[in-house]
Amino acid sequence: MKISLASRIEVALFRHKLFVLMLFVITSVFFLFQATQIRLDASFTKNIPLKHSYMKTYLKHRANFGGANNILISVCDSRGDIFNPEFFNALKGAHDKLFFIPGVDRIQVKSLFSPSTRFVEVVEDGFAGGPVIPADFQATKQGLAIVKANIEKAGIVGSIVSDDYSCAMVKAALLEFNPDTGEKLDTLDIAKKLEQEIRQEFERENITVHIIGFAKMVGDVAEGAKGVVLFFALAIAITAVMVYLFCHSIRLTILPIFCSLVAVVWQMGMLSTLGFGLDPMSILIPFLVFAIGVSHGVQMINSVVKKVALGLTPALAAQASFNALLIPGGVALVSDTVGFLTLLSIDIGIIKELAITASIGVAMIILTNLVLLPILLSYTKIKTTAKVGQLSEESAVWTFMASFATKGPARIILIFSAILFVVAVYKGQGLKIGELHAGAPALHESSRYNQDTFLITDRYAISVDYMSIIIETTPNACTYYDTMATIDRFQWRMENVPGVQSAVSLASISKLVNAGYNEGNSKWRVIPRNQHTLVQSIARVPSSSGLLNTDCSVMPVILFLKDHKAETINTVIDAVKTAAKELGSEHVQFKLASGPVGVMAATNEAVAKAQLPMMLYVYGAVIALCLISFRSVKATLVVVVPLYLVSTLAQWLMTALDIGLTVSTLPVIALGVGIGVDYGIYILSTMSTKLKEGLNVHDAYLAALKERGSAVLITGLTLAIGVSTWFFSDLKFQVDMGILLTFMFLVNMLAAIIILPALSAFLWADKKKVKK
Amino acid sequence: MRLLVFFAVISFISLSPVSADNTTVTEASTTPATKSALAAKSLLLDIAKISKDKVVAVGQHGHILLSSDGESWQQANVPVQATLTSVYFLNDRLGWAVGHDATILHSQDGGLNWHVQLYLPELEKPLLGIHFKNELEGIAVGAYGQFFRSNDGGKSWQSEFHQEFLLADDVDYINDLKAEDEEAYLDEIAFILPHFNGLVQDGRSLFLMGETGLLAKSNDFGKSWQKFNSFYQGSFFSVARTQNGKLLVVGLRGHVFRGINNGQQWQEVPTGTTALLNDIVFADDGRIFILGNNGMLLISDDDGETFTQRTQHDGKPLIAGLWFKGKLLAVSDVGIKVLVLPKT
Repeated sequence: MKISLASRIEVALFRHKLFVLMLFVITSVFFLFQATQIRLDASFTKNIPLKHSYMKTYLKHRANFGGANNILISVCDSRGDIFNPEFFNALKGAHDKLFFIPGVDRIQVKSLFSPSTRFVEVVEDGFAGGPVIPADFQATKQGLAIVKANIEKAGIVGSIVSDDYSCAMVKAALLEFNPDTGEKLDTLDIAKKLEQEIRQEFERENITVHIIGFAKMVGDVAEGAKGVVLFFALAIAITAVMVYLFCHSIRLTILPIFCSLVAVVWQMGMLSTLGFGLDPMSILIPFLVFAIGVSHGVQMINSVVKKVALGLTPALAAQASFNALLIPGGVALVSDTVGFLTLLSIDIGIIKELAITASIGVAMIILTNLVLLPILLSYTKIKTTAKVGQLSEESAVWTFMASFATKGPARIILIFSAILFVVAVYKGQGLKIGELHAGAPALHESSRYNQDTFLITDRYAISVDYMSIIIETTPNACTYYDTMATIDRFQWRMENVPGVQSAVSLASISKLVNAGYNEGNSKWRVIPRNQHTLVQSIARVPSSSGLLNTDCSVMPVILFLKDHKAETINTVIDAVKTAAKELGSEHVQFKLASGPVGVMAATNEAVAKAQLPMMLYVYGAVIALCLISFRSVKATLVVVVPLYLVSTLAQWLMTALDIGLTVSTLPVIALGVGIGVDYGIYILSTMSTKLKEGLNVHDAYLAALKERGSAVLITGLTLAIGVSTWFFSDLKFQVDMGILLTFMFLVNMLAAIIILPALSAFLWADKKKVKK
Repeated sequence: MRLLVFFAVISFISLSPVSADNTTVTEASTTPATKSALAAKSLLLDIAKISKDKVVAVGQHGHILLSSDGESWQQANVPVQATLTSVYFLNDRLGWAVGHDATILHSQDGGLNWHVQLYLPELEKPLLGIHFKNELEGIAVGAYGQFFRSNDGGKSWQSEFHQEFLLADDVDYINDLKAEDEEAYLDEIAFILPHFNGLVQDGRSLFLMGETGLLAKSNDFGKSWQKFNSFYQGSFFSVARTQNGKLLVVGLRGHVFRGINNGQQWQEVPTGTTALLNDIVFADDGRIFILGNNGMLLISDDDGETFTQRTQHDGKPLIAGLWFKGKLLAVSDVGIKVLVLPKT
């Protein structure tokens, strides 16, 4: 039945192949046009697990507290002192430019030049105060001296001005929508404006401009992702050489590469048609599609050339190859697609998008490389003397490798694999969830962005690694001593948690203000019990401070952490949960979490939670497809067991190389399994046919090697080399993905030709005896 | 040159008893302070000597810390979380600490364990200073002219209203009010007096310093007070007598005054700072230190005639200090600090 289905499709397609070809041409033209319309697309919310409880809290209160999507611009004077006219002009310029970028929340723009930056000092008869930069400010020696004195009185050293007075900060929060157009904010456009209108405009000999924040980071990632074009060219060149070495024919080299490029065009066109953009985070997917396409193309050429050598015409050979490869190739590609689709189960937009991008791409390969390629091949002249592979069919290498399928060597292989597995399981337990390095993990430590991050955290008393715990309570709660005292107590407990460097909340500010109202006497640094005094102590704190909403029914406690490593985050999150339970009540609820680290905590939890189901789904899909296509439990086992070993080894590799399980590496595990299964399926499809014909395992494996061995080797190498070009990427996460994918492709290939036959030797052993 | 103005005062005092009994303070009703890793590195407000080898510091969240070397600190068992503002030890066993929520704590074991003698959060006022002249007789003072006296080692405390610290206009107003409306009178006197910032014993005399230039002396342990004629409008935070017998008083906005002839004459000592000055510390070698906000440290080696600035780099307030084992210890909002001093 199975064969007749493939045959029916074969007959239908090849009878009307000119028509089919025309369809392909028309579709390609359409998708090519669509693909040219594709845009790079990045947004903050795509990177976070929106359904996670932390993120619900975050989204609920984002309007009040600016959330986590901030921009920090530090303008520095390389001479080490900001008090000169040149610097103040640059700072004012940066402030004004940032203020007028559409999408910047203008209320929250803060720097020395914002009117909300004020100082207050205690004098005998009360307070004296004013803006830090007076209205009649002149950048003269005198004017600058006044500003310097005001800065000290305002207590903004460390936040608005760096500790050593060499830099000053402009801060802003970004909106989710562009207020001018009402459209979703174009983060990449903001990043471009920050670079062109602020850094390029104001950075000069003595003035440096350091910009950090999510939008800038994404901009830099997108910039780095442009290097992908170079890698793509490189990958195509290397692949072409590999395929040529395999088939010794320029024509046969061009065809699979051409068909794979068609798959990429279709994928991009399809994405664009469906309204998706290409995220910098998933920009590598097209290449993966290309590499997978070529690897299947190679299988097709391999089959056609071999059949031509047997005396068939190219047309008939192509038709027969189509028939022979539709099932294994189709199963392999469908399992790739399913492998990618399992990623949809993860509640993070960017991973879902990656799943859609990748599964569309792989589905396209079914059409281009299993249908278009054989049709094109059927028009090609192929010499009957044409040969594929460096190894002749009678090569001693195949004979040697076939011995893996005999019990002696198989036993050694299996014992060795078992030991490897146990070690990998043990070592792989150290696998960490989350980001393990300082700075923006997507970028290299030496990148400008991360260097700027280090400079800012070094020179200011602020950390970009902060988390907000949101306290939800009743309206006007900030005027009640009990509520404020509870918040204060909570904050104090958090300050004592290892990893928390400092904390701030309306409660701690009200204590400072209360001391201020009492002549600056530290003995009054308490939350006033008297309600009128309490109101007085918070009345001057504006809601734009991010410490309270308009009716102060919601107040965050902001925790500044020493870093954003997974361990630090977990310690703090656990402490928050315990304290929230003890101190919280119906009226005062402590809710996790906002701020960049709050987002990371949610992402880490979402990734950790997704890991097991994702593995179950991807393996479930692979197992189901193997069962359907081979109709044999044994066949399924010999394919899946080596695959699982490789997944385990990959975890060990991640632990050893300090690569955490993150939004960018989690999908790699699914991709690795989905693509890694291809080798096993190709080898086993020949083997199982031969076994059914009555050959023993050794002979069946030898036959499979002769037929598919070269192609499998070349496929593994092509894929591995294609992704290994990512090692040289400007982007850290691409390097990580490159390492992992290269490993998965190579080692899955090795496992398929070494462990698969060894397992078969035992699983089909009885049958062999019976046959004898 | 201004003369001392003496007030005859006893008649101005009105007494009312306040004790643990009639306010029903039990330790079960307060939340004990928690032991925290950062207690010695967070806001501390006073530091005092318990013995030659032992010091005690008090601060926010009911923190009381003990140390024998000024470097490692042990947290005591304290039944309240109120912010403590002042601590006093009579000898190496008996000590008292006061703070917000009108808290008075007492220890009988050199500061290891404390219990509540007074806790009146509903007053919404802090106590800022405490002094005992012997095991039985003590005075605690605080904001809005709070004045508590005990004659039984703190078992019971009586509140006293020291009308002599009222402004002349207010005296008439208060007396009228008392005649007309008892309730309004009680409301008014709760907040009408200036803050009493602390008590300092000097031989037989007791000094009281406070808001609006308040500086007074008592020779009968606080029953009657002689106010020094006003020479400054701002608050005073500490007073002390130098080796040469001169009085030194420090206060708001960098003001330091030197009193000659037991305070009959006062000279302002220029300091060059506008920082609030909190405390006066004497070193063994005769140097005088004045501790202030914004990291201000003033040093004199001529008995307080002149001071030189030695600002601490971090700019943290230096709230109180003492000379201990050859080092100047200070408390600040980042906890205990050992101050770096110039070589002598």
